[in-house]
Amino acid sequence: MLPLLLLKTAQKHPVLVELKNGETYNGHMVQCDSWMNVHLREVICTSKDGDRFWRIPETYIRGNTIKYLRVPDEVIDKVKEEDYKRDEKRPAMARGRGRGRGPGGRGDGQSGGRGGAPGRGGRGRG
Amino acid sequence: MSRKENALDLAKFIDKGVRVKLSGGREVEGTLKGYDQLLNLVLDETVEYLRDKEDTLRITNDARPLGLVVCRGTAVMMVSPTAGTEELAQNPFLQEDGA
Amino acid sequence: MGTNVGLAPMVDSTISVITNDGRVIVGILRGYDQATNLILDECHERVYSSKTGVEQVVLGGLHIVRGDNIAVVGEVDDEIDQGLNLSATRAAPLSPVQH
Repeated sequence: MLPLLLLKTAQKHPVLVELKNGETYNGHMVQCDSWMNVHLREVICTSKDGDRFWRIPETYIRGNTIKYLRVPDEVIDKVKEEDYKRDEKRPAMARGRGRGRGPGGRGDGQSGGRGGAPGRGGRGRG
Repeated sequence: MSRKENALDLAKFIDKGVRVKLSGGREVEGTLKGYDQLLNLVLDETVEYLRDKEDTLRITNDARPLGLVVCRGTAVMMVSPTAGTEELAQNPFLQEDGA
Repeated sequence: MGTNVGLAPMVDSTISVITNDGRVIVGILRGYDQATNLILDECHERVYSSKTGVEQVVLGGLHIVRGDNIAVVGEVDDEIDQGLNLSATRAAPLSPVQH
């Protein structure tokens, strides 16, 4: 699973963002992009030492200043669902052809990835 | 994943006060007069909030006027509107726990 | 393809990550990309100290760790790991990466 896909699925969810300078931002993610830039709403900013706090109605954070993000646990299940739905929608023939592309890298990678998904689901996260 | 669909629409901040944090630790506040896709910003009546001498992480309320400035996009870490932003007197997370 | 073959076998297994700020995070790798951004599940931080044993701080839940901030990714053998006596382990904390 791609981190940016997870991030995209986390839109409209509450997230915590820690920046490289140690500040943290708690808020609802309105939007993100492929640079990991994020737009948050109803934000609480905490200073590096955790001793000062600000309430900010909305904020735009540049992706490359981010150290890490925390997203709610259920988001990962959502990604899997959407992954599955996308798979369902694809016509069977196209899927067959995709895999049939054979020993080449692409076909292999895809079937490998798919195979993984049900197994992960079976592990039974909350 | 799509191209840079700018996660924030800065158009709505034009002629409004914005606070900008820059990489390296500087913080400025000014009226947004213009911007581009690279997040270069034009700010008018800008003030820089100075940092504590001993503790450079700490932003004080001391400010120095900078006037009309261009902030280079690559140095911009965070942009937020001035309106509605306030420092909280106490830890809001503790309150939540207590409730 | 190819450049990141190294992480593929670790997906859904426990890994240990050392970040640029010197933290040691242990969690389950759920995904990664070309930039070594990682999805870590069920994370905890191991805080090393030369005076007391290793303190495990539960960070919980899902984290997306930006590749920029990652120094080392290591496989964890769960069996060996569970056999470790962390409370008796003394080690100086790591200092942050110097740029």
